[in-house]
Amino acid sequence: MNDPISLSPLTAALVNPLRVDHCTVTAAAIARCSSELSSLVAHRSGGGPFRLTDYVIRNALGSSEAAPPQVRFSWSASTARRSIGLAALRSLSEGTTHSPVDGVAFVIDQAIGDVAQGLRPVSSMDEWLANLSAAGRAAVQADAITWCTRLWTSVQFGAFATPPTIGRDHWWDSPQSSLLALRSRAEVRSTATGAGGKPVSVHLVVLNGPRRATIQSELSVVALVEALRTSDPLLPGRIVGWWPDSGRFVTLDVVQATLSAGVATVARTLTSIGASQASNSAATEAAA
Amino acid sequence: MVPVALQQRPARQPKTRPSTPIEPTNAGSPLERGDFLARLRDRSALRPSFDPNLPGGLRAWLEDGASALVATRGDDAPPMFLGPRLLLGQPGATASARQAGNLPSQLVLSSLVHALFTQLVTIGSIDDPLTDALDALSLHPNKLDLVHHINGLDRRARSALEADLACHVAHLTSLTPAFLPGWLPRTDDRVAIALAGGRVILGGVFDLLVGAPMPGQASVCAVQLTSGGPWAFARAALHYLALLETLRNGSPPYRLALLDSSVGRYVTEDIQEEHVRAMAAHVVTRLTNLGGHHE
Repeated sequence: MNDPISLSPLTAALVNPLRVDHCTVTAAAIARCSSELSSLVAHRSGGGPFRLTDYVIRNALGSSEAAPPQVRFSWSASTARRSIGLAALRSLSEGTTHSPVDGVAFVIDQAIGDVAQGLRPVSSMDEWLANLSAAGRAAVQADAITWCTRLWTSVQFGAFATPPTIGRDHWWDSPQSSLLALRSRAEVRSTATGAGGKPVSVHLVVLNGPRRATIQSELSVVALVEALRTSDPLLPGRIVGWWPDSGRFVTLDVVQATLSAGVATVARTLTSIGASQASNSAATEAAA
Repeated sequence: MVPVALQQRPARQPKTRPSTPIEPTNAGSPLERGDFLARLRDRSALRPSFDPNLPGGLRAWLEDGASALVATRGDDAPPMFLGPRLLLGQPGATASARQAGNLPSQLVLSSLVHALFTQLVTIGSIDDPLTDALDALSLHPNKLDLVHHINGLDRRARSALEADLACHVAHLTSLTPAFLPGWLPRTDDRVAIALAGGRVILGGVFDLLVGAPMPGQASVCAVQLTSGGPWAFARAALHYLALLETLRNGSPPYRLALLDSSVGRYVTEDIQEEHVRAMAAHVVTRLTNLGGHHE
């Protein structure tokens, strides 16, 4: 049994049991959410399909002046650090490596080795890493080490009742409509004790940027996806969003209202995408 | 007054560091890098505990200052990001002076030296200083203007920059120890503390942190690099970062170190509660003044 006094605040937020009067979501409520979601895209102009990620949702919920300019994705030290950092964290959690420094070096060496030997299909990031100079690679390595260390030192991975799953994104494809898919991104997933002693899933989401009013909405979509995924027998119990820059976190215990908020967030995102598409079409026509 | 150790060392030419890290047990050896490491490790087992109410008290104090600023700017104003340059008043650090095409030479040099320090901590060696630094900076989209600026320098200016950089690198390689992976060294660790509901954000970046944060105990050591400029400002900036770390993890770093790559000197000092309280008082005054409420 873990001593709650010795746990870091973030770990405690993840592993502490839910309140005894916590109302877990029901199967009927989940089915209703699934139906509502499919109806959201059924008659929507602008076609689709709509594959909504946390990035798309965050931008849709933000004010127009806060929306980042649309830039083509490219690998950089900042875009690569999470992928490398998570892989390093997995190696640490499995005991393959013993420090973030070793873990990140292991992951980068493996990526470069795979590209050099052509042993298996490699990712675009692996190819990008393999083509960097030693100094460029060191810069990427440094960013990934910092990212990984902050998470490794803030969460006590041994405190979970079940070994945590690290860095696995979950997708939910609507069974009623091929036009809608939602992604749940969480860096660490495990279990805690729900009401009545039943295990529920808990999810840690690492956040960037300033604390924003829409964060509960963003996290509610993670809860929604976890509830909708029929492949996972555990119901979602808690979502924790954490800002490493400030050490602050927000905790969202998942109840029916959380799922409703998730559906509303998806609706708002789709509306925002539709408005953006209409605006772009009007601009194109005007230019023509 | 806390004792401060100041060391000055002669410059050496850049060279590749040995790949074998200096073992903690060798900290007292006469190796130059070992001297610095020994200063970081000295009495490090005696980790001080701080009042658990300290972060809450500091935050409440800072919130008062932030509310004065917000009262002037209005609730709907965009978030105001404040860093050490603005809060501690480093001369010539205005935003307009840092615009692309008008980059002060000190800022250019500082960016290059910091990139090389990160490389030295991460892989332990530097090959060609300017090429390495540009390779590293080009991987950060927000540094591309700087890279273009340097690539656009004429041969004479570039040579002068290379000579300057070589001097800094010589000092860096002579001072920077190899940190064991178990010390959890990480570079460019960003801290951002939101006040007044996110309307005011105090930000800063630790150049290097070692050690893991522990609940209720000061357990992290912070190393900051300065490539010139006022020494007092660099030291105050480090105290400011210690304040932010107190708000982030509940305790300040137990030890601070400042490396000056321009002359090859360093200072270490143990952080005390009075340091972070004094810095908090300064920041509150500055926030109040920024809000136009001069007392």
